[in-house]
Amino acid sequence: MKKTFTKVLAGSMAAAMVLGLGACGGSKTAETTAAPATTAAAAETTKAAEAAKETTAAAAEAAGEPVSLRISWWGGDSRHEATLKALDEYMAANPNVKVESEYGAWSGWQDKIAQQLNGNSEPDLLQINWNWIYQFSPDGTGFYDMNQVSDVFDLTQYDQKLLDQMTIDGKLQGIPVSSTGRVFYWNKATFEKAGLEVPKSFADILADGPIFKDKLGDDYYPMACGSYDRTILLTYYLQEKYNKAWVEDGKLNFTEDELADGFDFLKSLEDNHCMPTLEKLTGDGADSLDKNPNYIDGHYAGLIEWDSSVNKVQKALENPDDLVIGEYPADYGTPSTVYKISMGFAISKNTEHPKEAAALLEYMLNGDGVKTLGTERGVPASAKAQKTLADADLLKGMVADAAKASAANYVFPLSPYYEDASLKDSAEGAYASIMEAMSYDKADSHDLAKQMTEAVNAAEAQA
Amino acid sequence: MTETKNPGFFQSKFWRNNKGFVFIIPWLIGFCLFKAYPFLSSLVYSFADYELFKGISGWGLMNYKEIFETTKIKTAFFTTFKYAFMTVPLKLIFALFIAYILNFKIKGVKMFRTVYYIPSILGGSVAISVLWKAIFKDDGIINMFLGFFGVEGPHWLSNKSAALFIICLLRVWQFGSSMVIFLAALKGVSEDLYEAASLDGASKWRQFFSITVPLITPVIFYNLVTQLVQAFQEFNGPYIITQGGPRGAFKKYNMGLASAQAWVLFIILMIFTAILQWSQKHWVYYSDEEA
Amino acid sequence: MTMETKKKVSNFFKYLILILVGCIMLYPLVWMVGASFKDNAEIFSSIGFIPKRPTLEGYKNAMKGYGGDINIWWSMLNTYKIVIPKVIFTVFSATIAAYGFARFKFIGHDFFFALLMSTLFLPNVVLNVPQFIMYTKWGWVDSPLYLPLIVSTLFAQDTYFVFMLIQFMRNIPKELDEAAKIDGCNMFQTLWLVLVPVLKPAMTSVALFQFMWSNNDFMGPLLYVSTPKRYPAAIFVKMSMDADTGFSWNRILALSLISIIPSLVIFFLAQDQFIDGVTAGSVKG
Repeated sequence: MKKTFTKVLAGSMAAAMVLGLGACGGSKTAETTAAPATTAAAAETTKAAEAAKETTAAAAEAAGEPVSLRISWWGGDSRHEATLKALDEYMAANPNVKVESEYGAWSGWQDKIAQQLNGNSEPDLLQINWNWIYQFSPDGTGFYDMNQVSDVFDLTQYDQKLLDQMTIDGKLQGIPVSSTGRVFYWNKATFEKAGLEVPKSFADILADGPIFKDKLGDDYYPMACGSYDRTILLTYYLQEKYNKAWVEDGKLNFTEDELADGFDFLKSLEDNHCMPTLEKLTGDGADSLDKNPNYIDGHYAGLIEWDSSVNKVQKALENPDDLVIGEYPADYGTPSTVYKISMGFAISKNTEHPKEAAALLEYMLNGDGVKTLGTERGVPASAKAQKTLADADLLKGMVADAAKASAANYVFPLSPYYEDASLKDSAEGAYASIMEAMSYDKADSHDLAKQMTEAVNAAEAQA
Repeated sequence: MTETKNPGFFQSKFWRNNKGFVFIIPWLIGFCLFKAYPFLSSLVYSFADYELFKGISGWGLMNYKEIFETTKIKTAFFTTFKYAFMTVPLKLIFALFIAYILNFKIKGVKMFRTVYYIPSILGGSVAISVLWKAIFKDDGIINMFLGFFGVEGPHWLSNKSAALFIICLLRVWQFGSSMVIFLAALKGVSEDLYEAASLDGASKWRQFFSITVPLITPVIFYNLVTQLVQAFQEFNGPYIITQGGPRGAFKKYNMGLASAQAWVLFIILMIFTAILQWSQKHWVYYSDEEA
Repeated sequence: MTMETKKKVSNFFKYLILILVGCIMLYPLVWMVGASFKDNAEIFSSIGFIPKRPTLEGYKNAMKGYGGDINIWWSMLNTYKIVIPKVIFTVFSATIAAYGFARFKFIGHDFFFALLMSTLFLPNVVLNVPQFIMYTKWGWVDSPLYLPLIVSTLFAQDTYFVFMLIQFMRNIPKELDEAAKIDGCNMFQTLWLVLVPVLKPAMTSVALFQFMWSNNDFMGPLLYVSTPKRYPAAIFVKMSMDADTGFSWNRILALSLISIIPSLVIFFLAQDQFIDGVTAGSVKG
């Protein structure tokens, strides 16, 4: 039914677009803004229709020639829905383009993509993790070089620093869709119960630990960190104190003494009852804090998490409003949180239609698809998309606030091997074994420093 | 085709001695189509310094050397041994015992069998690890129960050897498939034998050990071999409680190392199976053999 | 009288053990049912059965589909499009191969048997990569008929089942075959008329296992099915699990429960095959 409907309308394309986009504006904006906004929305849609016409013209030089594109992504419900809707709208506006979607959950997705890439049967467009490009395209030939379609896809909307991170050997491997950084979150209800304000510095945290113990009890802690979170905290502390990046030129950039100082700092947090030991955390029987009953009911009153995951950690609380974004501790210098490109979109090196694929990306990441997609893939890195969302008043709430906070508090870009499986894996990775040695066995800080240097340098040496 | 035209072929001695081959032809074709190439290529890769997307950068024994020199991999193999030798016997004894009871005509036997198979149906469902951890966490049911008797329970999840024990328990708990196979085997034991035995005044337990067990030894052998194979192939599985999913070499697309690990495992399993196969003549009774 | 009381006492203990162990076996399912009515916070903080703040959200959301492509019912239908042919093919092909190995001697018998067993020993993980390339070359990936998942079962490639049937067959006295031969049965008739009836419980187990395992298979369909409208339930159940921004567990649990109901029913009904076995087995051979 729907197909014949669009076919009929294809003759008068403009009308079709007004209808299609009007429908989308209706559902998203009507809820948030009142009646007067509708006229503005209508005006916008006509503008959007013109813009869409332009992209179509640019994309399909031989207009009307049917093109079929496969696109794949992973995510949850709302991302699936928004993306499908945006793609439907695109197809209505570009009747010659047929987009086939392949989507699912994160679980197993990387293996699926790896197999497809290895078998040269990947989709034309794929959502990727930033560090995949180093794994799947070590010499820059694994994905289509996006520089070649810069006439269709507007690269000027992106910070050059981000594009550089997506570039291998001069070839742009994908578009950085969004970035994410670690943010301190506090459960203000628990701090209030202890008669405290939420901490603003490491000094506050160190002082709050004993107070939690005395006033609330032995099983209350100002914050909780798993082994990977501990590594991130270590990175944060060292980058701030010594004002240099964790990794530089493929080497861990801190001396043994500096690293040992970092481990001593982590130990002092544990000793001062600022965070539970890893033994206690494992004994809680949850593999992440959002599933940990002690976090859910407020016994653990703080954490350091990605800004893009704020929804998860917020909704996990019994009373979600209790979670507030904390200030970055600046006791030792300028805060530099761990910050990375969270997601990208790449074009397959085997695609037959690079121009059309790029045109679709332009629509999704810079053009009219932005509003439909919202912040489903994080706060967009594209300047134009940011403006579109800000104008439509869609950049607000915790997600946007958290993203703003982390973006304002990072100095050093992250090494693509920071999350290498040999380091990050929760069962076999070096981060886990080093942090366990520290927390379980109270291993010597200098020994830990040596182990960390060895593991990180080995992971970096893959480059 | 030409052979079938030969009128004498089906009467020939060659055909009479080899006609059973016909029945394994489909399997053989399937083997050549689906298994032979992946098999051989993994053997070849195990001698290559080969990472997917980086290509082959050398040939040699480097992967095997790495396996025998890396303590992490050696510990993992060792853990797998412990895991297999704890899980397999416990699971089989338990499965046989329950199957024996559920083989009697008692009320609600269908219900019981279904209930006992549920853990195997749930398999790797996300719910299992959530619940299982909730039971064994520091303030979980088990420790609450122990606390009731004034015993302070151990940290089941954070203590490494306790954690291994819990994983074994989880596997034993999923004994349903072995139980079903035993049930099917017990059906083959004729009731006449039991009747004769009970007339002789043999107790239920005597009957079990002197009639039932010997008669189903081929199936016990089957369960022993396949469970052992499964336990060893869960080389990465012991982490299922901490987090599922393929790990290590597989995760890093290091095809060479992953293949070599698989072939080391292959050799180990072959040795075990060969030993079991050899031991068969002392304890497995096949009805198709002359007494 | 004393015999009677003795029997009663022993029965009592038999049931006591069965029920106690049964509770441990059943509890996860019971918990899942309860948890499918709870919110995330409660799922992770209590292991009781009865929800404190019951919600139907899980089931309501479970009914949601994606863009008209797929919903739980379609995905379950897809599952059976894969599972039913697999079960039928496996039972047939495995029985035939087992017959060849168990009942006949031929040139290379022991070599082929060793080859068969060796396919048990190599973990699937390393076979995945070459297999994927092979199926891609053949154009089988994302086939509407699920070829990569089904075709190999036509050729008795699940060694677990072939080996199992071999062991069961070897436990049937050869005199049966010989009697059949004297009655004028050829090889095929011997298999069909003499061995298959005795093997029924074992063949039922093969069918059941293939049914359950194919139902639960996640990685196979994930690799070889790309079009959402062809996803089976194992994939559909997990589709809303967004590791990054979080998701509602009650929906996942509700979907898991709905998708295993057919398995439970099938397993329950298949029991008749075993019960039949009792009376059939007692008939003298």
